[in-house]
Amino acid sequence: MGHILSLRNVSKRFGGLRASDGIDLALNAGELRCIIGPNGAGKSTLFKLIMGQLAVSSGEIFFREENITALPMWRRARRGLSIKMQVPGIYPDLSARENLRIAAQLHVSRAALPEVIERWLTRIGLLDAGETPARFLSHGQQQWLEIGMALSAEPALLLLDEPTAGMGPEETRATGELVKSINADGTTVLVIEHDMEFVRQVAQRVTVLHYGRVFAEGSVAEIEQHEDVMRIYLGAV
Amino acid sequence: MASRRFATLETIAFAVLACALVAAPFVVSAYQVSNLMSFLAFTLLSMSLALIWGCVGIFSFGQVAFFGIGGYAYGIIMLNVQHPEFTFPALLAAVLIAGGAAALLGYFIFYGGVNDVFVGITTLAVTLVIETFMQQTAGSQWHVGQAQLGGYNGMTGIPPLALSATNTLGPVPLYVFAAVAVIATYLLLRFLLASRWGRGLRAIEQHRERTESFGYDVRLMQLGAFALAGCIAGLGGALYAIWGGYITPSTMGLSAAALPVIMVAAGGRSSLIAAMISTLLLQYFSQSLSSSGSQYALVILGVVLVVVVVFVPDGFVVALFRLAARIGASSKPVKG
Amino acid sequence: MEFVSGAFNVLYQFTDSFALLVLASLGLAVIFGMMGVVNLAHGELIMSGAYVTTFLANKGVALPLAILVAAVTAGIIGAVLERLIVHRLYGRLIDSVVATWGIGLVMSQGALILFGPSIPSVSTPLGSFTFAGSTYSWYRLVLGVCALVLLLLMYLLFMRTKYGVQARATIQSPEMARSLGIDTRRMYTLTFALGAALAGLTGGLYAPTTTVVPTFGSGFIVEAFVTVIVGGANVLIGTPLAGAILGGVNSLLAGSYGTFIARVGLLLATIVVIRVLPRGISGLVARGRS
Repeated sequence: MGHILSLRNVSKRFGGLRASDGIDLALNAGELRCIIGPNGAGKSTLFKLIMGQLAVSSGEIFFREENITALPMWRRARRGLSIKMQVPGIYPDLSARENLRIAAQLHVSRAALPEVIERWLTRIGLLDAGETPARFLSHGQQQWLEIGMALSAEPALLLLDEPTAGMGPEETRATGELVKSINADGTTVLVIEHDMEFVRQVAQRVTVLHYGRVFAEGSVAEIEQHEDVMRIYLGAV
Repeated sequence: MASRRFATLETIAFAVLACALVAAPFVVSAYQVSNLMSFLAFTLLSMSLALIWGCVGIFSFGQVAFFGIGGYAYGIIMLNVQHPEFTFPALLAAVLIAGGAAALLGYFIFYGGVNDVFVGITTLAVTLVIETFMQQTAGSQWHVGQAQLGGYNGMTGIPPLALSATNTLGPVPLYVFAAVAVIATYLLLRFLLASRWGRGLRAIEQHRERTESFGYDVRLMQLGAFALAGCIAGLGGALYAIWGGYITPSTMGLSAAALPVIMVAAGGRSSLIAAMISTLLLQYFSQSLSSSGSQYALVILGVVLVVVVVFVPDGFVVALFRLAARIGASSKPVKG
Repeated sequence: MEFVSGAFNVLYQFTDSFALLVLASLGLAVIFGMMGVVNLAHGELIMSGAYVTTFLANKGVALPLAILVAAVTAGIIGAVLERLIVHRLYGRLIDSVVATWGIGLVMSQGALILFGPSIPSVSTPLGSFTFAGSTYSWYRLVLGVCALVLLLLMYLLFMRTKYGVQARATIQSPEMARSLGIDTRRMYTLTFALGAALAGLTGGLYAPTTTVVPTFGSGFIVEAFVTVIVGGANVLIGTPLAGAILGGVNSLLAGSYGTFIARVGLLLATIVVIRVLPRGISGLVARGRS
C-alpha cells in the first residue's frame, strides 16, 4: 500500500449532524493535494479529525501504516503531523523567534535548535522582524509565521487550512511558491483552499468534499471540467 | 529591548531581596526575625500560586489546602515519631505528601478535562471540603497515631527542626533555614521556567490547544506544574507549623485562601519576584496595622484587590518594573 | 404511626434543605446564567439583607416589609457594584471572580467594623407545632413555600415579562440581542441587581432563624455554590432540580451524620458533577433537547 495517510470510512457526527460521512482518502508520500468544496462541506472538520483535535465517530485513520485513530493530538504531532489551522495559532505576546522556538523545541535537539529557528525565520522572510512581538506583524507575516511554525518541526505531513485567507494576489502567489518548495523538499502537503488560482498553482491532485463526503477526486484539469463539481458550487446539487 | 530589561530588573530585585533576607538577622531584633520567618512561609504559598496562576494560567483556590496539608503532615509525622533527628526527613515527607495530594487532585482535574473557571471552582470546593472536615475533628477519636487533629483549635505541640537530639534550631537558625528555602525555591523555579518544560508551560497558558498541536503533552505538563506548586505550598505550610508549633484548619479556609490571591495579584502574578515582594510588604503592613489595634487591615486588602484587578491587572510591582524597563530602554540609543 | 412520624420528619427535613438550597442559590444562579460571572460577594449580599431586615424589625417594622426593603436595598447595592466595578470585567471571568471576592471581603469586614461582631437578632416568628411526637417550626415550612413561590415568580418573570424576553435573548446571544435593539448594558445591570436583590431577600428571610453576624453569608455560600454548579446556568430548570436532588442528599446525610458531613457530601457531589456534567443539569437538558 505505502500511503502516508489513509482514512477508511471516517465519519463524525455532532448530534444529528453528519459533519463527515464515510470518508475514504489515501495520500501518497510526497504528494501535494488540495481539498476543496463549498462552505459547510466538512473540510476543516476533516483536518481536525486527522490531527486529533476531534475524535472520529467511526472509521480509522492510518499514518505511515500506523493506526492513529485513538492517539491524542500531541502524539500525532510527535509522529510527524503538523497543522496550520484556520483560526490564528500564533502566540501574540511572544516574538517571532520565540514562536518558532515553542513550535520546534520538542522536535529538534538542543544543539540544533538555534540554527533551525534562524533558518525558518529567514525562509519565511522574518529575519529582521525576529524580535517583534507577533501581534505587531502584518496579517500576511502572521500567516507565514504560522506556516513556519508548522514546518519547523520538520513534519512528514503538513496540513494547511486556508493558508492564503485574507491575502492579496501577490502574497497568495508567494505562499504558493513556498508551499511548492516545501513539497519539493519532501514534505507531503494537504491544503484546504477556496482560491482556485492557488489550487491551480500548486495542486497535483484535488479532492472535492460535499456534505461531508468525498464527491470527486482527480487532477486540477479533471476537476475543473467536472460538471457536477461546478454544479455543487452553484448550489444545484 | 524592554523585555530583556524587565528580566534584568527581576534579577536585580531578587539579588536585593536575597541580600536583605540574609542580612536581616544582623540588623533587626530576634523577635522580628522570628516574625519574618512566618512571612517567608506565606511567601512560599504566594510563590506556589504565582507559579500555577501566573505562569501556567491555572487559577487555583486550593494552594492553601496544600499549605495546610504540609503543616498537618509534618505535625502528624513528628508527633508520632518523636525523634528530633527525624525532623528534616519529616519536612521532606510533608512536602512530598502535599505534592502528592496536588498530583491526585491535578489528575482528577486535568485528565478529567476540567479547565478555566471550573478549575478554580473545583479547587475551591476541595479547599472547603478539607476545611469543613478538619473543623469537626475536635473529639479525641480524631487522631492519626499519637497526633490529635484537634478540630477548630488544630494540632499543637509541633516540634521545630533539629539537627540532632540535643541540637534543636532556635528562632534565628530556623529563620535562616526558611530564607535559604525561599531563595533555593526561587532559583529552582527560575531554572525550570527557562527550560523547555517551562517555556512549554507559558505557551500552554497562552493557547492550550495550539500548544498541544506542537507535540506538547499538555495535561501531563499541567499536572506536573500543579504538583510542583503543591510541593512549594506544602513546604510553606510545614515551615509555618514549625514556626508556630501549631497548625489550624483556619489556615486552609475560605478567608485564608483570599490572602495569597490578594498578595500575588497586587504584586503581579506573572512575575515570581513581584509576588514575593508584594507578599512580604503586605504581610508586614497588615501585621503593623493589627498590632496597632486597627481592624482595617482586611478592608484595605480587599480594596487593594479590587483596585488592582480593575485598574492595574498586571500588578503594582510588575507595572513598576515595566515602567522602569521602558524608561531605561528609551534613554539608550537604539542599537543596530 | 411510627412510619408516618418518620415520613413526615423526612419530608420536613427535605423541605428545609430544598428551601435553603434554592433560596441561597437563586441570586447567584441568575447572575451566573446571564453573565457567566461567579459573584463571590453573594454571601455578603445575603448578609446585607439580614442586617437591614434585623435593623428594621428591631425598630418595629413588620417582618415581611423589612424583608422586602432589605431585598430592594441589596438590589441597589448590586446595581452600584455592577456599574462601578463588575461591568469592566465581563471579558475576564477569573478576574471578575477575584474582584467580587475582594468586594465581599470589604463588605464583611466593613460590617464588622461598623456594627461589631453581632447585632441583636429577631426571633423566629410563627412558633412551632408538634406532630407525631416531634416539634417542628412553622417558619421553616413558610420558607419552603417561599422557595416555591420565588421559583414561580422567576418563571413568570423570565417567560412573561418584557425584561424576561430580553434577558433570555441576551443570554442566548448578546450580539444578536444588541442588533435587535436590546440595551445589553442595562440588561446586565438589571440582572446583577436582580441577583443581588434575591440574595438580600434570602438574607432577610433567614435573619430570624440564626444570629446575625458579619459572616452570615458563609452559611449559605457553600449551598449556593453547589446548587449553581449542579444545576447549571438555566435558573428555571437547573436550580429547582438541583435543589431537589441536593436537598435529598443533604437531608439524608445531615440526618445520619450531622451538618458538617452533609456539607462535605454536598461538596464532593459538586466535584463529581463538575467532572461528569460540566454544564450541570441544564447542560444535560440542553443536550437532551438537541
